[in-house]
Amino acid sequence: MKILIDNAEVECKEGDLLIEVMLKNALEIPHFCYQEDLGADGNCRMCMVEIKGQKRPQIACNTFVKENLEVSTISENIKEVKRSILELELLNHPVDCAICDQAGECKLQDYYMDFGLYDSHLSTPKTKKGKHIDLGSNVMLDQERCVLCTRCVRFTSNITKTNELGIIGRGDNSRVAVAPGHELNNPYAMNVVELCPVGALTSKDFRFKQRVWFLDSTKSICHGCSRGCNIYIDYNETKYSAEKVHRFRARRNNKINKSFLCDYGRLSYKELNENFNADVSHVKDLKELLKDEKKLALVSPSMSLQQLQAVKSFCKDNSVELFSLPYIDENFGDEWLKTNDMSANFNGVKELGINYDEDEFGVSLQEAHVVINFDHKYLKNRELKSKKVVHFTTSHVDSDYELIFVIADFAHDSGTIINCDGIRQDFYATKYESQNSRLVDILEELK
Amino acid sequence: MITKIVSKNFEIPDSHLIDVALANGRYSSLKSVFEKEPQELIDIIKQSGLRGKGGGGAATGNKWQIVSDWDGVKYVVVNADESEPGTFKDRRILSLDPHLLIEGIIATCYAVSSNISYIYVRGEYEEFSDVLQGAIDEAYEKNFLGVGAKYRVDITIHRGAGAYICGEKSALLESLEGNRGHPRLKPHSPEPEFYFNEPTLVNNVETIASVPFIIENGADAYRAYGTEKSPGTLLFGISGNVNKPGVYEAEFGISMLEFIEKVGGGVKKGKKLKAVIPGGASTPILPYEMLKDARLDYENLSALGSALGTGGMIVLGEDASMVKALKNLLRFYHHESCGQCTPCREGTSWSDKILDRFVAKKATTEDLEILKSVSNSMNGKTICVFAPAASGVIDGFLKHFEAEFLECIV
Amino acid sequence: MSFSFSQENSIKIASLLNRYPHKKALILPLLWFAQKQESYISEDAIGHISEFLDVPYMHIYSVVTFYTMFRLTKPQKRVIEVCATLSCELNGSEDIKAYLDENYSKDFEVIEVECMGACSGAPMCAIDGKYHENLTTKTIDEVLK
Repeated sequence: MKILIDNAEVECKEGDLLIEVMLKNALEIPHFCYQEDLGADGNCRMCMVEIKGQKRPQIACNTFVKENLEVSTISENIKEVKRSILELELLNHPVDCAICDQAGECKLQDYYMDFGLYDSHLSTPKTKKGKHIDLGSNVMLDQERCVLCTRCVRFTSNITKTNELGIIGRGDNSRVAVAPGHELNNPYAMNVVELCPVGALTSKDFRFKQRVWFLDSTKSICHGCSRGCNIYIDYNETKYSAEKVHRFRARRNNKINKSFLCDYGRLSYKELNENFNADVSHVKDLKELLKDEKKLALVSPSMSLQQLQAVKSFCKDNSVELFSLPYIDENFGDEWLKTNDMSANFNGVKELGINYDEDEFGVSLQEAHVVINFDHKYLKNRELKSKKVVHFTTSHVDSDYELIFVIADFAHDSGTIINCDGIRQDFYATKYESQNSRLVDILEELK
Repeated sequence: MITKIVSKNFEIPDSHLIDVALANGRYSSLKSVFEKEPQELIDIIKQSGLRGKGGGGAATGNKWQIVSDWDGVKYVVVNADESEPGTFKDRRILSLDPHLLIEGIIATCYAVSSNISYIYVRGEYEEFSDVLQGAIDEAYEKNFLGVGAKYRVDITIHRGAGAYICGEKSALLESLEGNRGHPRLKPHSPEPEFYFNEPTLVNNVETIASVPFIIENGADAYRAYGTEKSPGTLLFGISGNVNKPGVYEAEFGISMLEFIEKVGGGVKKGKKLKAVIPGGASTPILPYEMLKDARLDYENLSALGSALGTGGMIVLGEDASMVKALKNLLRFYHHESCGQCTPCREGTSWSDKILDRFVAKKATTEDLEILKSVSNSMNGKTICVFAPAASGVIDGFLKHFEAEFLECIV
Repeated sequence: MSFSFSQENSIKIASLLNRYPHKKALILPLLWFAQKQESYISEDAIGHISEFLDVPYMHIYSVVTFYTMFRLTKPQKRVIEVCATLSCELNGSEDIKAYLDENYSKDFEVIEVECMGACSGAPMCAIDGKYHENLTTKTIDEVLK
């Protein structure tokens, strides 16, 4: 079936939601309350369109397409409608973009440039509401910047079902709030910051740190557990400081994480910024060690398939017995995104037939003279008396060990991982070169 | 000019007591109700042309039919959230003849195959809902309600708590479900209202109270009153600058000026009539000059650019300040907006604040332009008709009395 | 500090429970009982209702703040609600409010409210839920004496 939007034919199915048809076809449709994974509420009135045969403008988030539908988003009338609604959205807004962290990714700013561009003619005092409200879980609220789209409220009531947030008051005194003496407290709380289309909810972790227009984004996969949530790594390098990752943002994937991340995963970007010094060892010293008979390697189950394959070949070539063990935390998982298996690619380990039998590993470890640790947390900073230990690591290890090779982390080494549901996903390296070598390159050198 | 159908027993002392009520004909229609099939009752209501008396004037029979045809557990909800300024008629029924309402509810429930009814009474009407509760208790005792009744109906009073918007039927149901009174998005095709997802009929108190007469006397007897398109009677309210404010039942289609003069006793202190808000605050004001041929029915007032609404007339005499009157109403809309839709939440507040500048005689020409523009922004862009009503109120005052607003511009 | 309904109210509540298809519908009735019992709705009362009905605390708090008749703080004085909407204003509600402020504000909290549906008795006020209509300064004195 085809419908007409601004005189152009658009393919869709009877009963599709108009706003979704438009978004799917990359057609411009301003909106606040509608969000792909929260649905529509119908309160913001920003997505109004003109529909042939209808006297009044209609909201696209509550219009279901049918045969012969003709939609206009550009007629003079509908432009004026959008302008007037935007004016009311902004009426009591403090317009403090200069100090607002949302600036640059704020829908109010975008729409003002698209549909507003009017001069303010407010001659009466603005409505005062609460500012700098610490909701808990790293989330700060500024009620004056809020457009009351209720995305955050619907997230806590419909998605996490934790119900911390609600609308209080009535009319122009309506505000998003937590109940007195209560706080926002759930393992997914920080999603509300990302869901907020304006600067009302900001992250304590990110605010005042970076202007978003100075950030680059890379498509990646969270390595916090085996769910494989899709993310953007937001990072940059400035004149006076080295490259730094500033945040993870959810990248929508309908099959896995929708538009959401857990707070643990979201904040796990910090590991990528850990600075540590290590004397980098020489490859030739490792070659020397490889002459020993009893060698064992343990590889991190969060390594990419490419890395695992390289490690596997290396071990085969050098007669190293190879193991991997999953990172299991029985207290981590939940019924939604978080899994008890905190390794990013344990399914990859299985696919490559790497031995993950814990008992066998224990026996072999006792007998081994040389232990090569490929970034596995289990062996990091662990006393292994009377053994020669080699670390390929992305994080700090005590320097007493025999040999240390610092390798590029997943933000600097693209690859593929398989999540807990068997979904194979690629992630990419940021545009800045890592100071550390890629594991596969080092292993190549060893050949 | 007075016709007494619904208000027949209002002046009988203690008619809220069941013995008095029974002695004066209450519950007598139930015999004819139970003799008929439910669909016959719906057809009679359709033929009578009964229109919703809560302000909208929609055809009651059609509403019944939709609920009757829809599968599910059915509910009948009586809207007694009477909060439209200038409207105070339903409380008369609740306190002076509650058994008429109960009788009407039983008939309505039977017609749409429902056994459960709620009466949503505005929170402020505590005294009147207490009287109503007493009547319900008595009706249970006499087996008109509950398990012992010929047709089981259970009635529960549900008190609001101070929110005008809960008079809007979908907001009322939200409130009845235990939520904030936010109106719901409107359906795209005819369907009933829903209470916890079950088909639900929402009718105004007076609408339900009109049912017993129609069932007992037939559709034609009802149509003998009023006009072709607005059949029957309405409990008209009259207040403001008049000598005899009150609630008076009259046929649709009578002359408004005659009603004000003869029934309302004319403008206080012999002053001249300046304007009338015809049917509750949300109906646009009409100046005296336009009222010469105004008649109290849906069609006539709509043709004049206003509406019959609830029939609660607010009369303004020659001394009334139109700027102050508009400010008063906009303060009301500002206070009562549910805050859900942007145009309403921000528009009602902004227009109220702008009026302060007019009242203070410190407005500018731009303020007047803004007021018109805000009014336009509120019209036809929201979930419910609250903001469009506020918009209509502003437009009415500015259309007919702009000169008074211009006088407040510095 | 903990809240529980009085025995009398508990009986009423028990009989209301089978009147509604879902417990959640009892939020407004229970808030009314709580307010009648304590003259306002305390945090403990909200907590109690939340547990009793198995409805989130925030939902009930949000509902309380929507309806103007619910009070979250204990009134220090008896409340006089003076209707200030149009029919009352046209009949002198401003004078009534001023008179009450001047003569009775020591013992009463005088507040303006929107239309109470008593326009034919304008000006009017409500005290403890009871309407007093056709007010004059003289009748106010009689009522409040």
